Amino acid sequence: MSKQVHRTLSESQVTAISEELNEPDWLRELRLDALQSLDELEFPDVIQTPGRTWTDLSKLDFEALVDPEGALEQKERVAPEGVEVLSFAEALEAHESLVREHFGSVVDPQENYLTALQTALFTTGTVIYVPEGVEAQAATIRTTMAGQSLFNYTLIIAEQSSSVTILERQETADEGDFDERYYSGIVELVAGENSYVQYGSLQDLTENTYNYGLKRADTDTYATANWIDCNVGSRLTKTSVETVLSGEASESQIVGAFYGHDDQHFDVDARVWHENEHTTADLVTRGVIDDEARSVYEGVQDVGRDAWNTSSYQRENTLMLSDESEADASPKLIINNHDTEASHSATVGQVDAEDLFYMKSRGVDEHLAKNMLVSGFFVPVLEEIEVEELREDLNGRIQDRLAQRTA
Amino acid sequence: MAQLEIKNLHAKVNEDGGEEILNGVDLVVNSGEIHALMGPNGSGKSTTAKVIAGHPAYEVTDGQVLIHLDDEEFGDEEVPEELQTWELLDLEPNERAALGVFLGFQYPAEIEGVTMVNFLRTALNAKLEEREELFEGDESEDDEDDEAGYETSPMEGAADEGEIGVAEFQQLLKEKMEQLDMDEAFAQRYLNAGFSGGEKKQNEVLQAAILEPSVAVLDEIDSGLDIDRLQDVATGINALRDEQGAGILQITHYQRILDYVEPDHVHIMLDGEVVMSGDADLSVKLEEKGYDWVREEVYGTA
Ligand SMILES: Nc1ncnc2c1ncn2[C@@H]1O[C@H](COP(=O)(O)OP(=O)(O)O)[C@@H](O)[C@H]1O
Ligand SMILES: [Mg+2]
Repeated sequence: MSKQVHRTLSESQVTAISEELNEPDWLRELRLDALQSLDELEFPDVIQTPGRTWTDLSKLDFEALVDPEGALEQKERVAPEGVEVLSFAEALEAHESLVREHFGSVVDPQENYLTALQTALFTTGTVIYVPEGVEAQAATIRTTMAGQSLFNYTLIIAEQSSSVTILERQETADEGDFDERYYSGIVELVAGENSYVQYGSLQDLTENTYNYGLKRADTDTYATANWIDCNVGSRLTKTSVETVLSGEASESQIVGAFYGHDDQHFDVDARVWHENEHTTADLVTRGVIDDEARSVYEGVQDVGRDAWNTSSYQRENTLMLSDESEADASPKLIINNHDTEASHSATVGQVDAEDLFYMKSRGVDEHLAKNMLVSGFFVPVLEEIEVEELREDLNGRIQDRLAQRTA
Repeated sequence: MAQLEIKNLHAKVNEDGGEEILNGVDLVVNSGEIHALMGPNGSGKSTTAKVIAGHPAYEVTDGQVLIHLDDEEFGDEEVPEELQTWELLDLEPNERAALGVFLGFQYPAEIEGVTMVNFLRTALNAKLEEREELFEGDESEDDEDDEAGYETSPMEGAADEGEIGVAEFQQLLKEKMEQLDMDEAFAQRYLNAGFSGGEKKQNEVLQAAILEPSVAVLDEIDSGLDIDRLQDVATGINALRDEQGAGILQITHYQRILDYVEPDHVHIMLDGEVVMSGDADLSVKLEEKGYDWVREEVYGTA
């Protein structure tokens, strides 16, 4: 069993990471507790369809993938006026009590095996602090992985009536001398009362990288937490983007986009929990798979017992460009309070033959027609992106992929 | 001058044991002529149109669809005789379009995320490029250039300029839209997405005006139009013939549009065959007497 990576991890390695970063005792203890817990923890849930487990994380060889000492990276951080965009060390220095209050408050470090592994081993991360009442333009973070493995942690604290858009990119410097690599990222978003946050992410890791991601927001009263989650790179991605609508009248939109080719594998989840009255959620995901790529989507809208008068919508569409690609999608709606207006749908299918014929009959050849249809397919997602840089980057990556299409 | 010649066309639904729909259609449409093709529901009019354009749902079991092009088509260029006649059935739909065949759909597709202006400019450039390729034969150098062309964004068409650039095309589109009394805002809308039935039909005529076909097959372009739009659409169709010299094969159910687009020839289709042809008077007679009269004339029974 590959899970035994922790057998080769020692307390002293974890302590060394913590000391290197000059961390306070409480954070070191949190890391050591997480390390301890690995023995008992399970991998995150994955979709099973009859006779098939789509993403079997336990089959990954974490011992080979993870090198606690090989965590090289380049980091760029851009802070708009009024917002602090800090490394963990800087944040602990300037705002220790704030970090201590919120770190691990949205995603329990011991939620599953991979979150615990990340907590024990993370060497890099960013704290974005938007003080009360600040309305800011785009904060950006670019993480370029350069070693064998990297654990990256992002904590966003948006105080009352603040507003910010955030763009975070994950890339790899180049393929490097590694057969396989591992990238893990956790994002915790604390959306204070009446705050507004749009967080967009573009994952563009090299295709020898295994990628685990968990992003979760917790919304206070009248807060809005919106996610844009774009996955283009990696060999395998298991990612979940989630919002816990804790506060009354809070809202969340989760927008997802992925484009897989060759033998890439995407396992993408979107989840929302309505825990209070008058909450609104809108889940929109669009994905394209080509060649032998596989994708599996699970979307969950959970309307809690106390969630009166809620609205909850979910739509997912996967477009398959080749006969060899495979996809599964399951939208789930769990209703414990019937005072809700809810819808959920998912489709998996090929390019529409009538659309294609229509375009061809006007002189456009099949290859170009398909490319236009794919570009158009992503437009509803692109239109949701507020940060222009992200919109352009994602569109650029889509066009790159289309240019590589041979069929 | 160009000519679309349909000879003894037989077609069936493209699947095992698929229904035979066309049982020997013969039609000749010259550029500059307006033909009306009428017939009851289910007689095979749309199938004829789609087979001409190369729809994959049908298999041609017999017959030919030829396009004959004239020297004049090519300006000063000399076109060798063997390149003046093409068997459309051997060609891809986009190649047929490049040779000047246009199909206006009874039910146009709605394409989300692709703007009208982007699509039409792409289509026009693709048509010009394909045309060049068809007539210049298989110069492989050209083919490579084409591949390179696809590597640029079809999204906004920024990089792949093509023969007609963005600015030039916008001007062209603006003129044609004015002619059809279409709101300029249509250019930025997604292709047919959320268009009313009438807007879609108007848009089909607009596309024909931009692509300048030798022969336009318009399938029930008049159905579902209010009188104002019917007149706009009719103006557009007449302009295709009068200004561009196109031949028109107008498929219709109703006499109504023929008051505005006067046909030179009228054909009546029954059960997958053209059973009667005549001049404009035939449609008037048909309006009076109905298809039972046609059946009686042709089969001797009602
Ligand atoms: N793709 C298809 N599959 C099965 N039957 C078809 C198909 N297309 C047309 N048909 C049948 O062929 C006949 C002629 O259809 P169509 O050409 O659409 O008629 P028209 O346009 O004259 O009303 C109809 O009976 C129709 O149901
Ligand atoms: Mg029809």
